[in-house]
Amino acid sequence: MIRRLLHYSSPRARRLLITELVFIVATAVLQGVAFLMLVPLLRALFLADMAAVEPWLLALAAVGAVYTAAYWFAGQIGMKASTALLDSLLTRLGDRLVELPVAWFGPDRSGMVTGIAIQGAMFVSTTPYSILRLILTGFITPGTVLVGMYAFDWRLAVAMTVMVPVMALVYRWLRAGIARGDAAHSAAVADASNRVIEFARAQPALRTAGDGSIADRLVDEALHRQHRAYKGMLITGGAGIASFTGVVQLSLTVILVLGAYLAVGGSVDPATLIALLVLGVRFNEPIVGAGDLGGGISLARTTLDQLDGLAALKALPEPARPATPRDWGVEFRNVSFGYGGAPVLRNLSFTAPSRRMTAIVGPSGSGKTTITRLIARFYDPEAGTVSIGGVPVPELGTAVVEAAVSPVFQDVYLFDDTILNNVWIGNPELGREEVIAAAARARVDEIAERLPGGWDARVGEGGSKLSGGERQRVSIARALLKDAPIVLLDEATAALDIGNEIAIGAAVDAVRAERTLVVVAHRLQTIMTADQIIMLDGAGGIRESGTHTELLAAGGAYAHYWHERVGAAGWQLAPPA
Amino acid sequence: MARPEGRGDPTAGASDRDADAGTDESFFAPVKGSLAAIIGLSVLGAVSSVVPFIAIVELARTLLPALSGDAVGAGRVWAVVAVAVIALFVSFGAAFLSGMVSHFADAELQLSLRRRIIRHLQRLPLGWFDARSSGSVRKLVENDVVALHQLVAHTIHDVIFAVTVPLVSLVYLFTVQWQLAVAALVPLVVTAILYPVLMRGGAEKYRQYDEASVRLSGATVEFVHGITVVKRFGQLGRSHRRYREATKSYVEFVGEWTRQTAAMFTLIEIVTSPVVVLVWLLAVGSWLVGIGAAAPIDVLPGLLLGLGLTSPLMKLGSSSQFLRNATKARQSLAAFFALPPVPRPRAPRTPDGRGVAFDEVSFGYDGRHRVLHEIAAVCAPGTVTALVGASGSGKSTLAKLLPRFYDADEGEVAIGGADVREIASAALYRQVGFVFQDVRLLRTSLRDNIRLTRPHATDDEVEAAARAAQIHDRILRFDRGYDAVVGEDANLSGGEAQRVTIARALLADARVIVLDEATAFADPDSEAAIQRALSTLAADRTVLVIAHRLHTIVGADQILVLDGGRIAERGTHAQLVAAGGRFARMWADYQANHARSLPEGVQG
Repeated sequence: MIRRLLHYSSPRARRLLITELVFIVATAVLQGVAFLMLVPLLRALFLADMAAVEPWLLALAAVGAVYTAAYWFAGQIGMKASTALLDSLLTRLGDRLVELPVAWFGPDRSGMVTGIAIQGAMFVSTTPYSILRLILTGFITPGTVLVGMYAFDWRLAVAMTVMVPVMALVYRWLRAGIARGDAAHSAAVADASNRVIEFARAQPALRTAGDGSIADRLVDEALHRQHRAYKGMLITGGAGIASFTGVVQLSLTVILVLGAYLAVGGSVDPATLIALLVLGVRFNEPIVGAGDLGGGISLARTTLDQLDGLAALKALPEPARPATPRDWGVEFRNVSFGYGGAPVLRNLSFTAPSRRMTAIVGPSGSGKTTITRLIARFYDPEAGTVSIGGVPVPELGTAVVEAAVSPVFQDVYLFDDTILNNVWIGNPELGREEVIAAAARARVDEIAERLPGGWDARVGEGGSKLSGGERQRVSIARALLKDAPIVLLDEATAALDIGNEIAIGAAVDAVRAERTLVVVAHRLQTIMTADQIIMLDGAGGIRESGTHTELLAAGGAYAHYWHERVGAAGWQLAPPA
Repeated sequence: MARPEGRGDPTAGASDRDADAGTDESFFAPVKGSLAAIIGLSVLGAVSSVVPFIAIVELARTLLPALSGDAVGAGRVWAVVAVAVIALFVSFGAAFLSGMVSHFADAELQLSLRRRIIRHLQRLPLGWFDARSSGSVRKLVENDVVALHQLVAHTIHDVIFAVTVPLVSLVYLFTVQWQLAVAALVPLVVTAILYPVLMRGGAEKYRQYDEASVRLSGATVEFVHGITVVKRFGQLGRSHRRYREATKSYVEFVGEWTRQTAAMFTLIEIVTSPVVVLVWLLAVGSWLVGIGAAAPIDVLPGLLLGLGLTSPLMKLGSSSQFLRNATKARQSLAAFFALPPVPRPRAPRTPDGRGVAFDEVSFGYDGRHRVLHEIAAVCAPGTVTALVGASGSGKSTLAKLLPRFYDADEGEVAIGGADVREIASAALYRQVGFVFQDVRLLRTSLRDNIRLTRPHATDDEVEAAARAAQIHDRILRFDRGYDAVVGEDANLSGGEAQRVTIARALLADARVIVLDEATAFADPDSEAAIQRALSTLAADRTVLVIAHRLHTIVGADQILVLDGGRIAERGTHAQLVAAGGRFARMWADYQANHARSLPEGVQG
């Protein structure tokens, strides 16, 4: 644990942490020494030998003074250490996020990352003082007392020593039991919560179902599973804590009985025995306390595990010196790729030439979006190569690819800033008027007109004041501004409103003559006018490819798809009588 | 040392609980039965935990005569040892049992609260789910319910220990040797004086801390969500800088706060630390013995028990952060349960027929700003009524009044002559079905998803609905067919999921259907199949459709054109176009745009 904390510390935090730990160990040892001095002191006191009491009392007071000083420094340095540790953790987190491949940032990541940033980092940073200190003291102080006991009565000391491995074993068992129960419980809690949320989301449909529906049963079962898992955790955890505390109490009983036996036999000095018993009953508390705190450590461990997980993620390989592409054509050669599970693309080969528009069509899940992500180097393929201008993408490096590619994808993120600034991100070099002109081409001007404040209206957190279609227009405007040689366009949600379709059409017209344009195509106009159509087969490969006219004449799968789409475009819910 | 997470407040727990104990009556009802057991066991544990210390004092009294060479009464020694050992195990056993009882009570409380949340969700107006992200429900069931754990599982026990142990100890000490008892009180008194100083301005600081957390959280979310964007446009440095600035000001705030309180906090910890208390008590004790005010043996009780006065209080203090969370959680749960459910009709009416009528309906989400004004319209049984208008014109709101997502502020919405508010919920939803844009499938078999609203439907009926909704063949392509579980072995595209919900609506067979026609375009690859499914669904029913593509409703029986929450025009397509008003302009614009988005030669 300590090693892991130091690993995530800046040099300053590391120095402070080590100093803090030294002072903590010092206070724990001094505390043990002070307790041991109780034996001769009490002995002298019981014998009413006040002359002997005084020097011991002074010595104890001296130890107390040093202890106080060490405690004070442990506290003051600990405070600085925890702040420095907090800073190191947050800095490390941010630095790591910057390095991670874009692919890692799915929609569900922000919860985990904010979890680390807000609760996790704070908890870890307070761990050395609020938990580690107590655990260390819980072991070091009794340890010191145990060693010292040999000086007073070896038989009692041996009896105590024998109990140590037993305690250690039970402590390990306790921790393992708690961790197991915890894991089972967390899984059941997650399941139950998901069920309740699902239940909430499905409410409109469920009102029709009335009480006692299928959904009621599902949510009820999940709640009961969670209830059982919780009780299971309580039983395993409770048994662990009971055994540990029981063993500690048992060791006390052993001293009590052995001490009484020796005292009755007259072979132990009663004053020493009493003093030792005082130590025994009073100072088993830190050990019991340490048992309770094992759970706290595992909370901190969870956060460190998450940070380790982030650190273990591999970034994509980068070339020492980036190669220069011949042109901006894109080529897939025998590319296979999957997201960990079944492959999405199998042995796929095609070329998207420079200054041409390539349209990709195919059923849902056939890998259309995956192709655009591979070009943008969110991932590298598992087999085969993706090249730009004849150079495999890993030899170009992420920076070159990022600069060369302008993506218009479905997930559009807007910053809590003005609508103009959100477009401006596309190219900060340009002036305001140029940005507005480009934005107008993507029909962002209509959004600006609608919002109070026009171009300088704020879009809300995550762009909440804009509809999905409007957000995509901003994304198109950014791409137009960036003016990169390769444009990747995902039309998927564009069909939701007519204005967006026109914006996309304008974008396509603006860039197709000069750029490499790869479109995940849904609009009939886009598909029909593409220089090349690639129709995926839904099994990771290509079904047909060619121009619209060629494919239509071939009368195959594409022709069927086309006729179905054209029919759909003319569909009427309420046809004229 | 003071930390936002580890800060102690021995007094806060007790007073917080007392302050609003009355309002928690129903909240904690499920654990009421266990309360007596928890209290009884805790008191037993606390009292018996003091006994071994007293036993050692007695043991000392018995053994010490040996120092001056007198005989030791072995019988008495063993009796005292036996009492001590029994007390040790009774104390430990009682504390353990009270812990178990309180944790099991907590388990019951969690179950009952989650069930209550479920029950309340079932009764809230559907509109509530429109406005809330799933985040707030997640917070209720995950964070808030769990945050109450500390209150139920630990606080009662901790408070009883923190009160009983010092009380019993002090009573004993005052009966044995009052001067040393007074000395033992000193660290407590010092803490009681210093604590308020430490906590001064604490509430304000906590508020600022929460604000700082929210700022950091916002910056982190933006950093993570925006990273794909900023990387693409070479703006990573700027975004990273913003994150760094947020973390820096957060760390500075936390650092400043800890610095301000660290000295006082460490001071309190030192004053109550065992070593300092030990030195203090021994010094006083020796002095008392020296001046002859106390016998040497009388120092022992003060020493043994005086050391144990502060630790239960300090333990209570360290849990105050959990208590703060628990209090917040209780407030947010109480606020949730206080949300008014959908009012139920006192004398439910049965709709007669399937005509729909809006009679001078006005509505506003907040009760003040009207979004619908005096809407009056009639949809004859078996006809199609289309709602058109710009976004914000109120067409979606109007459609949602029919299935009671919201209730009209004025006027009435009626089905078959009965006000929807006077129809029992089950009867209403048998009559009104709806297919909206957001598709929610449950993580269960496709079969159960389709028959969600009619659990007793036969497999044949389920299959017939799936066929009509154009999804049967797709389902058969899964290895487990209708038994494939959504999200596990059945991964559906948006359009496919849409068709499952249409199958569900077909099986439910409501005679009035509210449709969002944009559903047809969620997934262009299944567009044609969805359209066929929608056509089947619309046949022979009274349909209210929110129309986005004007050409799809050319043949509607009536078109209501909304503008600013009022019906601006109404009539058939031909009538409205001929009238040359608002709709005629919309149609002209639409045709121009629609034609541009289609390849030449395709009729829109």
